[in-house]
Amino acid sequence: MPSDFKENGFFVAIGALVVLVVIGQSLFFLVKASKRAKELGIEKTTIKNTIVSSALFTIAPALAIVATIIALSNALGLVLPWIRLSVIGNISQETSAASAALEVVGGSLSGKVTDEYSFALITWVMTLGSSLPLIIIPIFLKKLQKGIKTAASKTDSKLVDALSAAAFIGLIAAFVSRAIIGQGTAGDNPLYGKSFGDGAGIMSVLTLISAVAVMLILEKIAAKFKLKWLETFAMPISMFAAMGVAILISVALPENIAYLEWRG
Amino acid sequence: MKAGSKSEKTYIEKMHTYGRIWMLLALFVISSVPVLFSAYLQQWPALADVAKGLAKVAPLFYATAVIEVIAYTPILGTGGMYLSFVTGNISNLKLPCALSAMEAAKVKSTSEEGEVISTISIAVSSIVTTLIIALCVIVFKPILPYITSEDSVFAPAFKQVLPALFGALGASYFSKHWKISILPVLLLCIMLIFAGTIPSGTLLPIGVVIALVWAYVLYKKKWI
Repeated sequence: MPSDFKENGFFVAIGALVVLVVIGQSLFFLVKASKRAKELGIEKTTIKNTIVSSALFTIAPALAIVATIIALSNALGLVLPWIRLSVIGNISQETSAASAALEVVGGSLSGKVTDEYSFALITWVMTLGSSLPLIIIPIFLKKLQKGIKTAASKTDSKLVDALSAAAFIGLIAAFVSRAIIGQGTAGDNPLYGKSFGDGAGIMSVLTLISAVAVMLILEKIAAKFKLKWLETFAMPISMFAAMGVAILISVALPENIAYLEWRG
Repeated sequence: MKAGSKSEKTYIEKMHTYGRIWMLLALFVISSVPVLFSAYLQQWPALADVAKGLAKVAPLFYATAVIEVIAYTPILGTGGMYLSFVTGNISNLKLPCALSAMEAAKVKSTSEEGEVISTISIAVSSIVTTLIIALCVIVFKPILPYITSEDSVFAPAFKQVLPALFGALGASYFSKHWKISILPVLLLCIMLIFAGTIPSGTLLPIGVVIALVWAYVLYKKKWI
């Protein structure tokens, strides 16, 4: 590891600094919001439940991010993917930025990056490609909120509620429909090649159905027996249960059925 | 009541001030990463090369950034916006996490209770994510490949994180607002039949617009 120019103490120190800023901001906001929650009369248990269930909810998606870092580390070393995936951006954005930068110098993410020039170029393209929100939010967020508030105050509250629910539903529908019938995009993914398999198929549909079923059952049980804690944890429990089903399917069903994708 | 609304204004106002300071600090630190890397390696990429690389991704990234900022503002609230855009992974983690927290606490995203619950949830999620990533990278490096590699027993579970996550979230929302939900899911599925590779990033704004228009129609027809 020390002989590799992509991983050294100096870079790790920079990474640690970035992580410190992220955690510092999160802690600061957590304290401010918790104080305000108390002032608003929100119950202590509600705050506590929010903290615990959010932490649980985060574990699986965070491990999926770690998996991307590991995959990227083959080409880029561990430090750069670690820094980049701890801030802004997301899995697909960082991957495509890195591969776009490499194409300029005629490389690709499927091999190790061996020259320092390409590596420096990648850090620049990844950073400049993703930083725009940090400039537009400080400038425009307040104005944007004002505009939305003015529009909402002139509108029937029933419509405002329906529209805000609709915005969530639209977001969720995008991911749900991809899991039902979407075609894999990983075929052109420089990182995973054709074998990645992110198209909809037996696995994604059964996982989706299990998540829906477990969630509905848990909600019913929580309502019937008035279990407040279950209400709070129904979401992370359903998610883990559905991921467990995915593992079960891969172990129990023959490979050609378990990994069948409708359209590849 | 009057005092409450006055202090609400002060809280949100304060969050804007704090948020701007933190976000600009984060921007400074994040932007210094390529500078420091280049200085250490003594490799300064040619402007033309950076521009060429950016030209391939920036138009899409910048357009997405603008759309995301507009779409997430009413959902995530003031604190949530300043925090989640610094820490990233919004649509696949922070947003569903905040939605789930607000749903469980039975608060509306438009209320100040929703604002604080969303901020608490995103703050916790950011801390946990950052710690998990740092811990895994530093401490568990040797055993990680066994968990996350392609042939690990857990691999199918990690590939199905999104269906599992949005299935659980969808069950809750769709069952409560099934009239609003039917059309967006149906239309997006039909769209995917014809253009299967549309990525989630593009599908997202399309889904939101369809759902908003459909909810408006339902409201006008007095069906909801």
